[in-house]
Amino acid sequence: MLYTNPQDYLSQIWPDLPTEVLADLGAVFHKHTAKRKTLLTTEGEVEKYLYLVLEGVQRAYAIGADGKEATLVFTYAPSFSGVADSFLLQRPSRYWFETLTPSVFFRTSFADFDSVLQKHPLLERKLRIALSETLEGVLVRQIELQSFTAEQRFRVLMARSPHLLQLVPHKYIANYLGMDATNFSKLLGQIRI
Amino acid sequence: MIGALHNLGFYQGFSCDSPVVLQKKSMEANLLLDQYYQQTEAILDKAVKEWQNLAPEKLLVTPQPGAWNAAQCMAHLNSYGNYYLPAIEKAIEEAQARGSKADKDFRSGWLGAYFTKLMLPDSKTKMKSPANAIPPAVVEPVETLAQFIDQQERMLKLIEKARSVNLNKVRIPISILPWLRLKLGDTFGFYTAHHRRHVLQAERAMGRA
Repeated sequence: MLYTNPQDYLSQIWPDLPTEVLADLGAVFHKHTAKRKTLLTTEGEVEKYLYLVLEGVQRAYAIGADGKEATLVFTYAPSFSGVADSFLLQRPSRYWFETLTPSVFFRTSFADFDSVLQKHPLLERKLRIALSETLEGVLVRQIELQSFTAEQRFRVLMARSPHLLQLVPHKYIANYLGMDATNFSKLLGQIRI
Repeated sequence: MIGALHNLGFYQGFSCDSPVVLQKKSMEANLLLDQYYQQTEAILDKAVKEWQNLAPEKLLVTPQPGAWNAAQCMAHLNSYGNYYLPAIEKAIEEAQARGSKADKDFRSGWLGAYFTKLMLPDSKTKMKSPANAIPPAVVEPVETLAQFIDQQERMLKLIEKARSVNLNKVRIPISILPWLRLKLGDTFGFYTAHHRRHVLQAERAMGRA
């Protein structure tokens, strides 16, 4: 769904926020577009923006000492995006953030976001709940990584985000699941009709 | 050496049963790059949305005896990418290091315009691929497609990177004739045209054209 302004988008995420708060928060978000495979945040850099995804798929990934990429997370609408920990802590990012398909966002800077938070303590509460859900998601993913077989991880992802198959090159999905392209293709063959 | 221009026929006295019209074009560099970007992105979109979701055997269907299947078409294109992508990247980086600045307009060289025209999917000229670019009889479809997709992503990045340099001055040695150097703008032109041609062929092989 394409929202024409940040306020509408935010009201979808937080429907019970008072209009005044939504208006103040919406006012600090600005539209930003990026072509596919645009690097938005690099390792070592402090994340400048908090993003709301309007269109496209993005991913955060780490690059190991051996040069290998590890895809940590995919984001797509409706969702916040960017390197949230680096943004909120204002510390250098430990990983990279890029678009995988042409993307459209609303985004805000830390200074602007922080000033709205200070004005509206209610937003702090909203943010705490949102971050708790994110933490839950990260820990669930941790369970998947440590206790699931590659095939179980594949099935969980296919249940949660099957649309990714038509949107991004499979190598990124295979990488997220921790398998090679050939194994991924075999598993895909099992669910393909 | 990998990859070669198709039109070696040029040197073998190729007969012009349908003559190729030579056009000396001048065009705004950014618009030209936009065009190559869109054409490459269209190929990538097709591969991501459709091809990678097909059963791999579909890429191995041979339309008629002696014709290439889709995986072979991609392997053929990959062999060009293996040569040209690093060559283009190196040339752009060297140009940036030299302080090359973008030129507003691009003027095709006569050879570049000729090559591109010859490669275009609607060119009626039949061509024979040079021996070293002919794909093996058996091609592993999954890896080949993954590499193909990877190369299109890299190409899109290179087209964007090229916006900062002079498309008229930066030159790329042709794979089989390194002493012959095409302008970067023409290299993108013939490379993209060649890809479009074989992507159509691959789609026909899969029965999707």
